[in-house]
Amino acid sequence: MRKFVINVNGNRYEVEVEEVTGSGNVIQPAAAPVQTAPAEPVVQPAQKAAVPEAPKPAVNASAPEGAVKITAPMPGTILDILVNTGDQVKKGDILLILEAMKMENEIVSPQDGVIASVNTSKGASVNSGDLLVSING
Amino acid sequence: MATMDKINDLYARKQKAELGGGEERIEKQHASGKQTARERIMMLVDPNSFVEIDAFVETRSIEFGMQKKKIPGDGVVTGYGTVNGRLVFVSSQDFTVIGGSLGEMHAAKITKVMDMAVKMGAPFISINDSGGARIEEGIDALKGFGEIFYRNTIASGVIPQISVIMGPCAGGAVYSPAITDFVFMVEKTSQMFITGPQVIKAVTGEDVTFEELGGAATHSVKSGVAHFKCASEEDCIRDIKRLLSFIPDNNLSDSELLYCTDDLNRISDELNGIIPDEPNKPYDMKKIVTTVLDNHDFLEVHEGFAKNIIVGFGRINGRTVGIVANQPQVNAGVLDVDSSDKAARFVRFCDAFNIPLVTFTDVPGYLPGVDQEHTGIIRHGAKLLYAFSEATVPKINIIVRKAYGGAYIAMNSKHLGADIVFAWPSAEIAVMGPEGAANIIFRKDIANSEDPIAFREEKIREYREKFSNPYVAASRGYVDDVIEPSTTRIRVAGALEMLTSKRETRPSKKHGNIPL
Repeated sequence: MRKFVINVNGNRYEVEVEEVTGSGNVIQPAAAPVQTAPAEPVVQPAQKAAVPEAPKPAVNASAPEGAVKITAPMPGTILDILVNTGDQVKKGDILLILEAMKMENEIVSPQDGVIASVNTSKGASVNSGDLLVSING
Repeated sequence: MATMDKINDLYARKQKAELGGGEERIEKQHASGKQTARERIMMLVDPNSFVEIDAFVETRSIEFGMQKKKIPGDGVVTGYGTVNGRLVFVSSQDFTVIGGSLGEMHAAKITKVMDMAVKMGAPFISINDSGGARIEEGIDALKGFGEIFYRNTIASGVIPQISVIMGPCAGGAVYSPAITDFVFMVEKTSQMFITGPQVIKAVTGEDVTFEELGGAATHSVKSGVAHFKCASEEDCIRDIKRLLSFIPDNNLSDSELLYCTDDLNRISDELNGIIPDEPNKPYDMKKIVTTVLDNHDFLEVHEGFAKNIIVGFGRINGRTVGIVANQPQVNAGVLDVDSSDKAARFVRFCDAFNIPLVTFTDVPGYLPGVDQEHTGIIRHGAKLLYAFSEATVPKINIIVRKAYGGAYIAMNSKHLGADIVFAWPSAEIAVMGPEGAANIIFRKDIANSEDPIAFREEKIREYREKFSNPYVAASRGYVDDVIEPSTTRIRVAGALEMLTSKRETRPSKKHGNIPL
């Protein structure tokens, strides 16, 4: 087992890495990277947890979703999130930037409303149909 | 009966036929925000131009008390008239008569005007407002549907066929609109579906409203069944007239040539600055499209569906052109299942009706993903290649930025028979993007280098400088000319002028086999 210290956006993470040999699929330290940054308590676990087994209900429980769900139109990486929960948005406002096909795609609000939840995080890899943001109209 | 009485009798009969289902039902129709079958026709055609046919036709059925429900006209108003002076044939279902249901004679009235439309080479407009097949008439009603579908198919590519949904259109009835060229739907009052909410609830247990299942918003955004979504019946009629102004009467005639009031030599300096310096930034392709067209006038088809590709009609030098353009602002402008279908269908309409195609290319490729592969991007993407290859109308392509790989070929490339291909200096015509290409070509070198990241960056830059431009393609003749963006309108207008006498013959065949 090796220990690393990783700085992400000024937050310090201690990460343990264990090499997996042919037979065993020990992923017991998987919990370690899930430690959340204190600054973004809601968002961080969602991103990390979504990678191995996609436990979506966990996300839903922590952030109540709005009626209008904005999902990823195609697979890519979240480059930037321009809104926070509780923000007022107008139809056509840019909510986030999804990098896909080597393009910065602006994901815009389909209607006026208030951001009910942000279900992704900067740098997260998303698949088509993954929930990104939800809005209450 | 004296002759005078006979004449009076005629008018009494006509009056009865005109009332359809009666005052009470007409009031109900109005109360639900809908016009009657006749009012709709009057909105559509030029004043005093409508001539009705078959007002006295009645059902022949006597089963289940049908002889008591007989109403002259049998629930549909048919005939012909003019729209802006041009002949059109119309059928308009009357919801006040037995719910607009389709029986044997109702269908026979429709097929009669369809046959006339084909003979006379005039557009056919079908206004739908019907509860579906008239169950009392059994398989005679089914026969009616079948005969309409058959004629829709035979007339396809001969005369433009427009379906207007202004009420329910359910079950088998949906397949007539589905075969026709354009489907208009009115928000809130029109629905299309194969099986209704009750059946869905019973079979799959899903709860869904009429509007969610098959309303105008659903079909114009999600399913792509509707080409135009209109806020009201008045708006809808206005949009139909606008569409008609761009398309010809039949496959042997040309669209109306209008006097061009816009400067043909207009230099559009704004186009020189529209492509961002960074290749990963989006911009609005519609601005390029409208700038090139006469008076910036563009009628977009399928505005809400598969927005990563733009299709629609405009005019250049007064002559109708069909536009197909990638939209980098939506999903990077990728080609996917829906956008390929949307564009391929539009290209085939233009080809069938002698409308030259002008395409604007900025495409990063086909959309990768398990979902796309499993929904058949191979099959669907092939339609676009097929449609462009098959089209013999004048084909002009302007590559404004990215044209990568298979998507480059699909977007009206020289290799599929484009007559003229222009490229802007910002064009990047290559087998793939610099990042991907460098990763593959220099994979080993990158892995073996001391600083893989820096080495990779260097190789990407090298590849970009060498291949991400229009000049490699131009040196092979795949691009006919590299042009300054501001001169696009003049150059396209000139090319269209040159291409007016284009004639291209193909080996004779029954028909091709487009990958459906």
